[in-house]
Amino acid sequence: MSLLAAEGITKRFAGITALDDVSIALEEGERVGLIGPNGAGKTTLFNCLLGLLRPEAGSVSFDGHDITRLPVYRRARLGIGRTFQRVELFSGSSVRDHLLFAHRIRSGTGALWKDVLGLGLPKPAEIESCDALLESLGLGGMGDEPIEALSLGQSRLVEVARALMTQPRVVLLDEPSSGLDRAETNALAETLARIQLEQGFGLLLVEHDVELVASFTERTYVLNFGRLITSGDTPEVMQDPEVRAAYLGDFVAGTQ
Amino acid sequence: MNGPAETAAAPVATPAPLEIPVLELRHVNAAYGPFRALFDVSLTVGEGETVALLGRNGAGKTTVARVASGLVEPTEGEVMVDGNDFTKVRAHRYAKAGVVHVPEGRAVFGDFTVEENLTLAFSRTHDRSGVRNALTRAFELFPPIAQRRRQIAGTLSGGEQRMLAMARVLVESPRLLIADELSLGLAPIVTDEVYAVLGRIRDAGTSLLIVEQHMGHALALCDRAVLLDHGAISWQGPTEEAAEAIGAALFDAGAQ
Amino acid sequence: MTASVLAAGVLEDTIRAFFQGLPIGAGFALVAMSFVLTYKTSGVFNLAFGAQAFISAATYFELHVRRDWPIWAAVLVAVVLVAPVLGLLLERLIFRHVHASSAVAKLVISLGLLVALPELFKLIVDYNREQPFGAVGIIPDGTTIYRLFGRYPVTRDEIAAFVIVVAAAVALAALFRNTRLGLRIRAVVQSPRMTELNGVNADWVSSGSWMLSSFFAGLAGVLLVPTTSSLGTVLEPTGYFPIVISALAAAALGRLVSLPAALFGGLLLGVVTTQMRTHVPRDNVILAELQGPALPYVMLFAIIVFWPAIRRQVAGADPLLGVSPPPPALAATSRSRGMTIYTRIMALAFFTAVGIFTFGYANNFWISRITHSVIFSIIFLSIVVFTGLGGQIALCQVTFAAIGAFGAMQFAQRWDISVMVGMLAGAAIAAAVGAVLSIPVMRLGGIWLAIATLAFALFFHDVLVKYSWVGGSLFHGRGVPRPEFLGVDFSSRENFLILCVAILVLVGVLVILIRESSTGMALRALRGSETAAESIGVISWRSRVIVFSVSAGIAAIGGGLLAMEERLVGYEANFDPQTGLFWLVIVVVLGTRTVEGGIQAGVAFVIFPELVLHRWLGLDGAWRYVLFGFAAISFARHPEGLLEHGKRRSQALMQSMFARRQPAMAPAGAGAGATAGDGPPADAGAHPGDEP
Ligand SMILES: Nc1ncnc2c1ncn2[C@@H]1O[C@H](COP(=O)(O)OP(=O)(O)OP(=O)(O)O)[C@@H](O)[C@H]1O
Ligand SMILES: Nc1ncnc2c1ncn2[C@@H]1O[C@H](COP(=O)(O)OP(=O)(O)O)[C@@H](O)[C@H]1O
Ligand SMILES: [Mg+2]
Ligand SMILES: [Mg+2]
Repeated sequence: MSLLAAEGITKRFAGITALDDVSIALEEGERVGLIGPNGAGKTTLFNCLLGLLRPEAGSVSFDGHDITRLPVYRRARLGIGRTFQRVELFSGSSVRDHLLFAHRIRSGTGALWKDVLGLGLPKPAEIESCDALLESLGLGGMGDEPIEALSLGQSRLVEVARALMTQPRVVLLDEPSSGLDRAETNALAETLARIQLEQGFGLLLVEHDVELVASFTERTYVLNFGRLITSGDTPEVMQDPEVRAAYLGDFVAGTQ
Repeated sequence: MNGPAETAAAPVATPAPLEIPVLELRHVNAAYGPFRALFDVSLTVGEGETVALLGRNGAGKTTVARVASGLVEPTEGEVMVDGNDFTKVRAHRYAKAGVVHVPEGRAVFGDFTVEENLTLAFSRTHDRSGVRNALTRAFELFPPIAQRRRQIAGTLSGGEQRMLAMARVLVESPRLLIADELSLGLAPIVTDEVYAVLGRIRDAGTSLLIVEQHMGHALALCDRAVLLDHGAISWQGPTEEAAEAIGAALFDAGAQ
Repeated sequence: MTASVLAAGVLEDTIRAFFQGLPIGAGFALVAMSFVLTYKTSGVFNLAFGAQAFISAATYFELHVRRDWPIWAAVLVAVVLVAPVLGLLLERLIFRHVHASSAVAKLVISLGLLVALPELFKLIVDYNREQPFGAVGIIPDGTTIYRLFGRYPVTRDEIAAFVIVVAAAVALAALFRNTRLGLRIRAVVQSPRMTELNGVNADWVSSGSWMLSSFFAGLAGVLLVPTTSSLGTVLEPTGYFPIVISALAAAALGRLVSLPAALFGGLLLGVVTTQMRTHVPRDNVILAELQGPALPYVMLFAIIVFWPAIRRQVAGADPLLGVSPPPPALAATSRSRGMTIYTRIMALAFFTAVGIFTFGYANNFWISRITHSVIFSIIFLSIVVFTGLGGQIALCQVTFAAIGAFGAMQFAQRWDISVMVGMLAGAAIAAAVGAVLSIPVMRLGGIWLAIATLAFALFFHDVLVKYSWVGGSLFHGRGVPRPEFLGVDFSSRENFLILCVAILVLVGVLVILIRESSTGMALRALRGSETAAESIGVISWRSRVIVFSVSAGIAAIGGGLLAMEERLVGYEANFDPQTGLFWLVIVVVLGTRTVEGGIQAGVAFVIFPELVLHRWLGLDGAWRYVLFGFAAISFARHPEGLLEHGKRRSQALMQSMFARRQPAMAPAGAGAGATAGDGPPADAGAHPGDEP
């Protein structure tokens, strides 16, 4: 039984079929890539997995339970964390607050009576763990910056940190490396790998940085025009002529 | 107004250009309210020259691009366009002077359809039939958005929005094209295509200032590279020499 | 009488009502289209519309009726000159600078203008030197009656209004459909900077569109006078309120963006109104109410809640928002330690002084004023909860306060239950009403939430209060006792003041605890990005029900105390919905983020007009509306409140005098690099102006 599985997802928007009978599965502790040309439906699939969009057909299950009808927050509380391709941050809050919110909301029951009795205030240990994660993502010392003062790449890192702070069992990352250069991308990959080793979550990665997908993931799904065209071990997928024609062009791993 | 470029203390590594450069930043400092972002940046883009602006996440590349297109007014220093002082001039005058800027991220009007986005861009310089021709050429350049010409731009996928933003400027050959995070979010095969078009535009006489994280393409296209670090220029010179200098600088920093 | 004669009579009535309804509908349509026009061209939900319309109408009245100018000259000045210039001024001085602010912030600004502009105008032209009786329309001999098909009477005014409205609709539709300018206007609303990058002067476009929409507001102002009963007799700004509310319902049909829908909706509402008057029997109480004042509010509320096109508006994010520096940190948690200590010392000193004054020297008048200040501080804390924590605007806090007051009264008078229990029961009822109300309206958020709550407040005001189980008898519940419990009698002035202060402290602590802990964090996350908040597990509907009902409960407690203090429920004086607009404005100006902000607003609300304006400066009390109304503009820039902003500035100044700020220098090469403030040279972290 897979940890997170989607069966036969179909999603249509006015006139176009963004996803057409797509099935994927993800195990605990696995790293899986999801690639495809622009507009192939990768982000739409993420939205269906998390419940931001309701597919017309198909089902999503998590840890053996059918979650197709659950609202977004229930899925998040089950342990699905994600980042957004178009950054979605809490405007008006500091960088550290982002992590603190995520941690609180996940761990505390958040009952009003606890707040009223003063049991809901953040504890020093929590703040420390937030700062430690920021440090390891290379955002050390930025905890107090307002979120609006960050550059695009930094904002993405904060999103990753926020997702990790919810103690997820599955993390969905939508182009985490855009806005980062090669060295920073490598550093992010290392950090992710380390934290994944500690926590054992499954990781689904959408990326156009093929270099990163090739070096980081074990398995890869390829979408084109809403349909799954191939899947399998990453190196094999990268050699697939259909994938090359639709997506990679004359890219050769390890040359950029 | 139309005076010749002053022979101000030119930055050491820049060869003094013979003719009047299209764009010149002289000792520019820039800030966002209390947050300082650029320190004494001097930079020229000559007639027909192509310059790659490189640097790590948060180094200030976007800020340089914004200063160069009038979006951010420098707190000190001057901005010259074709030898005219544009320091305190608003962005629409830059555009009229032929400086076009594709901002990073999703730089489209989210409530407009694809076609309205392009019409707005083309209608300043074209009459009705000219706009129609320009639309046709834009759609030839990027077939994916041609199929979605009546879709609301805000609902396009991330990459499609980037294509739309690029289509706005790639149809014409402006005097100076500033493209921020050029290949961000684009599939590798599309990136190749965009660079091919850029090559053609360059050959038609457009100067280019390109911000790019994936250096392979940028260095292949450009004559000169400028490396930013912590808001100041740390190196600039011809691209042939750049590969080693820049690569070393970036990888050293990231590898620690 | 045969059935066919009866049927013919019904048909006759229906047709008559239809032709009566069209001109009324044309008025709604004109206002609705003006709303849509402003919203489409500026992104501002302009509640100040009534103020703009009033200024043109009053200018016309002043010139034509009082000074005997000819009609054409008065129209030229009032509509073609004054209205666009007013629009230009609003754009130049105010709205241009708040483009990036949220729709809610802009709504607050327009509320401030609604409060301030008419009062300012009246003060300047000395409008109230005599009662403004007998306003007339701009059509010569407008009251001449024609008969359509020889039988259905319409006036010349009505025909003119109808023709102008349809012509305006056609012209505007053409502007937006077919012209380059229309496209540019819509582009500037989304992102002025992106528009500039396309070589368009965004400032000119936005000035132009404000002049256009203001012209329409002025035109509506003068055209509506003869056809609107509330305006025809005495020309006052409040006369526009009912028609604006009805028009909002029409504008809402087209989600505030569709001009044809606004036209059609306006006409439809006009016809529905007259048809209901003709056909619906009046013997049922509720049906009778629906033909009276309640209809527009019910329609507005129903449309907002049930019309499927109305959804939560996703902030149409300007892709170049990042070019502006970030707004100041919002939460009170971002205060430094020094700031907190400084605030505490100041507060302690202040309260000690007030305490000594109150119990040592004050006469009855001042004790009563101070008690009022404390009570209003409690009420205003409900706005701190809702607007400061929840980031939303609700315009029905007066209603909740009134529920608390009536609760205390009803329990004490009917069942002879302790008034304290009555007040708490009122608070519980208000909280329950808030919870029930929150479910349909909180889904919408933003401006829809504000309008829906306003409709609710007006409905309560015009309909519910009149029932004896709500508002008591005709003379609105006199004789509310003061409480006595735990063996202490709180009926003396001093003792009651002590009770109020104790409750204020309790409520203040409650607010702080909620703000600082899980619930507060969830709310801040939701305010920043709903999608992201849900994706980390925030249960949005629960958080919203909580803020709405906590806030309603607090307001009701304050309302109950106010009734006890005054020993009666002064409904008209205290709980009018238009008073509620001013409450919101004053709290927003002084600070919605902190408990102090609420308290300062309470003190200012009670003491300021009395002491500063009247006694010290000898000014008309109306200046308070002007001052605070215009001050609401600051909300967009300083959402933390003017006083908080001032304190931060002075504290920052003090700090910079004693020590230069240490920058948070990221270790070179550690991952992502530069912290926002630092650069390579040694003067890292310095502000732009600091460099030698
Ligand atoms: N709300 C919507 N309405 C209409 N079409 C939509 C909507 N959202 C997405 N689409 C379309 O669905 C398709 C899939 O979009 P999606 O965002 O999933 O692509 P993607 O694979 O993430 O692409 P990219 O790599 O560019 O981010 C696109 O063609 C897009 O235009
Ligand atoms: N709107 C803003 N307000 C405050 N600081 C900002 C803003 N935009 C960028 N910065 C800061 O300016 C610096 C340079 O940012 P940017 O030019 O976006 O970097 P790059 O494009 O090289 O990643 C960063 O440290 C960033 O935090
Ligand atoms: Mg995507
Ligand atoms: Mg950038």
